[in-house]
Amino acid sequence: MNYSLLTLEILVTLLGLGVLLAGLWVPAGARKLIGYGAATLVGVILTYAIGGASPADGTAFGGMFVVDAMSNFFKGFFLLAAVVVLLLSLDYADTLVGYAEYCALTLFALVGMLFAASANDFILLFVALELITITFYILVSFQRNRIASIEAGVKYLILGAVASGFMVFGTALIFGSANTTNFFEIAAKQAELTKSPLFLTGLLLTIVGLGFKIAAFPFQMWAPDVYQGAPSPTVAFLATGSKAAGFVLLLRIAFGVVPDLTAQWSRLFLGFGIVTILYGSLCAIPQRSVKRIMGYSSIANAGYLLLGIAAASLNGSAAVMTYLGGYIFTVLAAFAAISVVVAHTDSDDISAFAGLGQRSAWLATALTVGMVSLAGIPPLAGFFAKFYLLRAVAEHVMIDKAFLVALLVACVGVVISLYYYFGILRAAFFPRHAPDLAPIAVSSTAKLAIILAVAGTVYLGIEPEPMVKVAQQAAAGLKTLPEAPQTAAK
Amino acid sequence: MQVGLHHYLVVSALLFSLGLLGVLARRNLLVIYMGLELMLNAANLALVAFSRYNANLNGQVMVFFIITVAAAEVAVGLSLIVALYRKRQSAHVEDLTSLKL
Repeated sequence: MNYSLLTLEILVTLLGLGVLLAGLWVPAGARKLIGYGAATLVGVILTYAIGGASPADGTAFGGMFVVDAMSNFFKGFFLLAAVVVLLLSLDYADTLVGYAEYCALTLFALVGMLFAASANDFILLFVALELITITFYILVSFQRNRIASIEAGVKYLILGAVASGFMVFGTALIFGSANTTNFFEIAAKQAELTKSPLFLTGLLLTIVGLGFKIAAFPFQMWAPDVYQGAPSPTVAFLATGSKAAGFVLLLRIAFGVVPDLTAQWSRLFLGFGIVTILYGSLCAIPQRSVKRIMGYSSIANAGYLLLGIAAASLNGSAAVMTYLGGYIFTVLAAFAAISVVVAHTDSDDISAFAGLGQRSAWLATALTVGMVSLAGIPPLAGFFAKFYLLRAVAEHVMIDKAFLVALLVACVGVVISLYYYFGILRAAFFPRHAPDLAPIAVSSTAKLAIILAVAGTVYLGIEPEPMVKVAQQAAAGLKTLPEAPQTAAK
Repeated sequence: MQVGLHHYLVVSALLFSLGLLGVLARRNLLVIYMGLELMLNAANLALVAFSRYNANLNGQVMVFFIITVAAAEVAVGLSLIVALYRKRQSAHVEDLTSLKL
């Protein structure tokens, strides 16, 4: 077997184990060293992954694990998100009991995401998703002296376990009807399988499980509570890595396994997308907690991404990937600011952000770039993300008039979102009360995280073409792959 | 009477529904957790039945993965419930109300 395909996964796993061991020997006073080391080494792995050293396309573990353009595209973003999250977590090194374990679990969640990007079998899909979810149960409830953190963890646990129950049962039905769990083999006989009600039920249940990961309506209940209660660096990872992992699997199933069915079911995805956008946007309006607003914003964004999947075209899936790329940078920029403010003021109420414009130029810049890009205003990454996505939806209006409704709802959603994103910015720059205007000291690691995220958001806004090209190649690769079915190891 | 694939599937679907009902209807976190385990094991039963009747051992391999993952999930889940109990002196879902608008 070609182990070089798994280089990134093996390196990150070893790093995670190393961090766990280092936690035993590094004295308590120097625990920040672990965070610095982990962030630096993930950064090294990231440069290795981008720097052309990515392995040639291929499969491993009897066709279970696939490396293609899409998996490479997403793995870069997962590694980047982990670097920023580890940098941000350094501000919490003193409040998180067992900081070395926090870093190690973040790395194990990263391994789960890397495997999810390459999953080509329902068994690997399940194991990778569970690796992400179970580590996140712990990461969410890591501040166990805060009741909010534990409560968020328990809520995530119950709803996450229900979702995995649905997914496992769905996989069982798919296995029963297809007699295989490999994506290529199922794709090869999708024409007959899509007539089998057993297979369709199984697929629907699996999509329910993924719908939970991406926080799409009606499986979104956990998002606001978990976002509000969990430690801020965890939320940043949850909003970027975990969501993108759900979407990479959804993309692979929708366009790599059953592309014909996805075209038939486009109205299903469209309907859920529309409701998800409306739910996320409307519920965010009355919120006072910034992290909770980000939770609803994440639901609304899942809705936009579902519209891209509903478009069921090459441009649609490329737009979903482009959107996720821009979204990851944007959310990281926003959370870099939120994380430092929450660490400093111990509150995530909008009033804690009052006067941020005078308190710290760094945080104000990161927050502004994040919110403006989330709202979809040019020339930031969020604008082009929405532009390509809505263009893909608009192309479909000729075929199905329902997409016109989706287009209108998306525009309404953007307008509503302006209200709550700019509500945060108004508090930061034009506070109504005279707040505490003492400057906030921003640590050098947080500054580095802000530079990475803001530079990415601005760069993708000014120069989106390179990423769009890569995303289009990745989307095209997804459709040609099923033509080469692998023979299963008997 | 010959016991066939359908019988196993019906039992599995019943177990799954019972588990889901437990999650939705019960108010104690530990009982909810039992319901969740029932859902996972319903899937295991279906997988083993399919594996037997399709003469394909891959299904039973998947069952091993599910059992392992479920064990990890139980370890984390129970420790979370214990942590919550220490904080709140309660394991009831009605008491999970600190996160709100």
